[in-house]
Amino acid sequence: MIKKHSKWPYLLVAPAVLIVVCVVFIPVINAISMSLQHYDLRMPKQIAYIGLDNYKEVLKDRQFWLGIRNTALWVLFGVGFQFLLGFALALLLNQHFKGRGVIRAVSLIPWVTPGVLIGLMWRWMYDGNYGVINDILMRLKIIDAPIAFLAQIKSALPSVIVTIVWQGIPFFALMILAGLQGIPLEMYEAADIDGASGIKKLFFVTIPSIKNTIFITLLLRIIWVANSVDVIFNMTGGGPAYSTQTLSVYIFNKAHSLNLGYSSAMAVILCLILACIAVPYMIMKFRHEEK
Amino acid sequence: MKNNSLAKRYFGLIIPLALMLIFILFPFYWTFVTSVKPQAELLGPATYWPKQFTWDSYIKLFKGTVDFGAAMRHSFFVASVTTLLSLTVSTLASYAFSRYRFPGRKFLMGLFLSNNMFPTVLLLIPLYSMMRKLGFLYKPISLILAYTTFTIPFSVWLLNGFIDDIPASLEEAAMVDGCNRAKAFIKVTLPILAPCLIATGVYIFMNSWNEYTFAMMFTNTSGRTIPVALNSLIGQLGVQWDLMTAGGIVTVIPVCIFFFFAQKRLVEGLTAGAVKQ
Amino acid sequence: MRKILALFLALTLAVGLMAFGSSSAFADDPVNLTFWYWVDNPDYSAVMQNIVADFNATNGKGITVTAEEQVWDGGGYSNNLLTACIGGGGPDVATFKLTSIPSFVENDLVVDLTDYINAWEDKDEIDPNLYSVMQSAVSDGGIYLMPWMTQFLYVYYRPSYFEAAGVEVPTTYDEFLNCIEKCTMEIDGKQVYGFGMRGSKGGQEPWGSFICGAGGSWDDLTSEGSVKGMQDFIDIYTKGYVPPTALNDAYSEIIAGFQSGLTAMTVHHISSSKAMVDIFGDDVSAFPFPGGTNRWTSMGETEIGLLSSCKNPDAAFEFIKYMSAYDGQKVWCETTGNLPVAKSVQAGEFFQSDRFVKTSFESQGFAGVVPITTFTSEWINNWPATISMALTGQMSAADCMATLQKTLYEG
Repeated sequence: MIKKHSKWPYLLVAPAVLIVVCVVFIPVINAISMSLQHYDLRMPKQIAYIGLDNYKEVLKDRQFWLGIRNTALWVLFGVGFQFLLGFALALLLNQHFKGRGVIRAVSLIPWVTPGVLIGLMWRWMYDGNYGVINDILMRLKIIDAPIAFLAQIKSALPSVIVTIVWQGIPFFALMILAGLQGIPLEMYEAADIDGASGIKKLFFVTIPSIKNTIFITLLLRIIWVANSVDVIFNMTGGGPAYSTQTLSVYIFNKAHSLNLGYSSAMAVILCLILACIAVPYMIMKFRHEEK
Repeated sequence: MKNNSLAKRYFGLIIPLALMLIFILFPFYWTFVTSVKPQAELLGPATYWPKQFTWDSYIKLFKGTVDFGAAMRHSFFVASVTTLLSLTVSTLASYAFSRYRFPGRKFLMGLFLSNNMFPTVLLLIPLYSMMRKLGFLYKPISLILAYTTFTIPFSVWLLNGFIDDIPASLEEAAMVDGCNRAKAFIKVTLPILAPCLIATGVYIFMNSWNEYTFAMMFTNTSGRTIPVALNSLIGQLGVQWDLMTAGGIVTVIPVCIFFFFAQKRLVEGLTAGAVKQ
Repeated sequence: MRKILALFLALTLAVGLMAFGSSSAFADDPVNLTFWYWVDNPDYSAVMQNIVADFNATNGKGITVTAEEQVWDGGGYSNNLLTACIGGGGPDVATFKLTSIPSFVENDLVVDLTDYINAWEDKDEIDPNLYSVMQSAVSDGGIYLMPWMTQFLYVYYRPSYFEAAGVEVPTTYDEFLNCIEKCTMEIDGKQVYGFGMRGSKGGQEPWGSFICGAGGSWDDLTSEGSVKGMQDFIDIYTKGYVPPTALNDAYSEIIAGFQSGLTAMTVHHISSSKAMVDIFGDDVSAFPFPGGTNRWTSMGETEIGLLSSCKNPDAAFEFIKYMSAYDGQKVWCETTGNLPVAKSVQAGEFFQSDRFVKTSFESQGFAGVVPITTFTSEWINNWPATISMALTGQMSAADCMATLQKTLYEG
């Protein structure tokens, strides 16, 4: 397994590396260099290198810090619940029952739905006047009067998080379900002989066997959700009063206002923050491999 | 005993599954109901089944000025080619990362992980100008190239996670039996990996099927994909709800049917692997 | 490195020369142009394609225009166009929103049409005021965009609700505020709100009417009158005269609110009139936004511009004229219900018979656009968030206006 000097691994990774580097390398270098410039397309004649000024300004920006806070909540609760519910769904769909194929297929629906439709549909369902969610809650006598979910500072962020959770469940369900198929049946049989309960089997057989899958899907999903814009953009546009403006939405808005330098500086910072999550994972992974 | 297992079935499967499905499917149901309501019924109190049922929006979607059929064909073509291409190169790369240790491996893996951390909106101008200079603009290859690039990194890491979870000993056993590495991979690892390849393939497919920003910039009217066609239903004067929701439904259904057949492999992969063992 | 650079330069030069060579095409050679536009309703796509086909068939100069429909993309259209142009692509002719023009001018992507217009025999077809609005948007006073269609915001109201509330059509700003208050009532056990406030995207337009109606102005958003207008805006929200969802209400929501009978009044323009009449028949009417010492309403506009990458600007201007003053103008405006910019089309019977057209033209006299500075696009994007800070009590009216003044004029 550990062949040190072989040309094979290089040949195997070459196509993937070539495609990625050729397409992304120049644009990313370009974006990083924009972050060091006063790069505002509204004032193209004033474009010039300004060192770290964008970064200094970003760190003083109240909206930036609010964006960090919102991103933290968005990722923590968004990915957290996606994972828990997705895991649960995978375990359910891994059991034997009639119609499993159909249910597996329809469970994928939120993920197949185009982003723009997700945002608009949920916005419509949350509507404080005609929304079906208010209608159901009122019929169930949970609330007396409609709630303007997306128009109130307190409820807007939780509401958009519910939407992203809905959207992300199938991703985890599918990945974990795939991972579950790789667990040798003997391991469960051995646990049965030891008289382990269902919960015990979950924690001592299932989770350890797919821990690589769990870690990597979580990490990839964190990166994906932290960067996702379309759901929030279509539902609230970051409002009311910036209460749903995550860092990526702020970056998107600034880029749309053509202030690409400032926007890039924030994007670089977001990358560094995400790297703070990814690097420990990688160190852990590589250290584990060496054992 | 029998009562006990019945209760277990209820609390361990049926009730949680039902709750989960309600949450997952209700918005889809609501999308469908909206698509068969006349526009006027959208206002005012919510109706859970249309008072006046109509397929008009579907007819308009395919026969009217929005050529949704063409958009679906374009999306399907781009997503399929991307899935094949991206899955192939990702599988090769992730196998190398998983089973070999070579100088530069950590660096390359790190590079892949960081690739998707940067918001695409900031990469758009250079990418557009590159596609234009290469002569790829307004051709499907521009989207295939862009989607392949942006799905490879995640796919490599996903597959790497899956392969790491498969004991290398299986493959080594086959090699002891006289297979070379490539043969061992094809005969032993690939069957066990099949469900994971499908899962990753689905990930790549979905991403290409639903991507909007590049699709918007790199296509023109002759090659619009589904997300762009749907977005064209939102003007300054609001949303064409009937067409939009009908478009959503016809986007979702073929993929679900496709997955219904693909998911059988999720089980077959397991049994195939077990036999080999 | 230097060699590579030299080679690169040589190549660019060669390509540039070739491009230059082809630009001196003879006038009678067939000319192909691409035109980017968006539609607000998919039904209009065919209308546009027909107009362009008609132009291609009748221009007699061998000009063939290919109309490439783009996505409005919630206003992202302008950015997509800019991205394409900066990336070296993009069309020859395109529809524009005035707010986006400064960036195109700064990046040398559009052509100043002043000389073309001066040389055009029918330039008076278009109101000189419109030309000056175009000029006011840029710092060098050029006319970079040709007016194409306009709409003027006015107030839609429900006569039956006015009757129930015992109010008349307001003629002054104060009466209007009173009207909003009085119309907030229960009818048949159903809550009705006096006004459908647009607190989300695009809300700066009706909001501007409040600011100016109260005696303020766009020039100084921090003046006493402007702050009073802002305070009125806050008051109608906090006192519950508008739906509680106002902070997230954009076009769809205010129209849905009005059409479902939830609100007694709302501000929009002529394009929604047909749907309103379909629903309410005679029980919907309109009046111009009332004023006090000052008065303002928003002019919605769309223009056509000529991109500097166009190799046949003369042919392109032929097409632009067709769209703004001749048959293209007539067919487009009559089908979409937008107000024409060409006088001869305005005078046609189609635009003289409709009560909403009448209200539109009454509003024209005091209509304008949000001042266009380098920062206007961003300011418009940020408007909902800034306003919601004030409406939710996190900021005072005066502070809010100070922020808006600064971000509009200084960035």
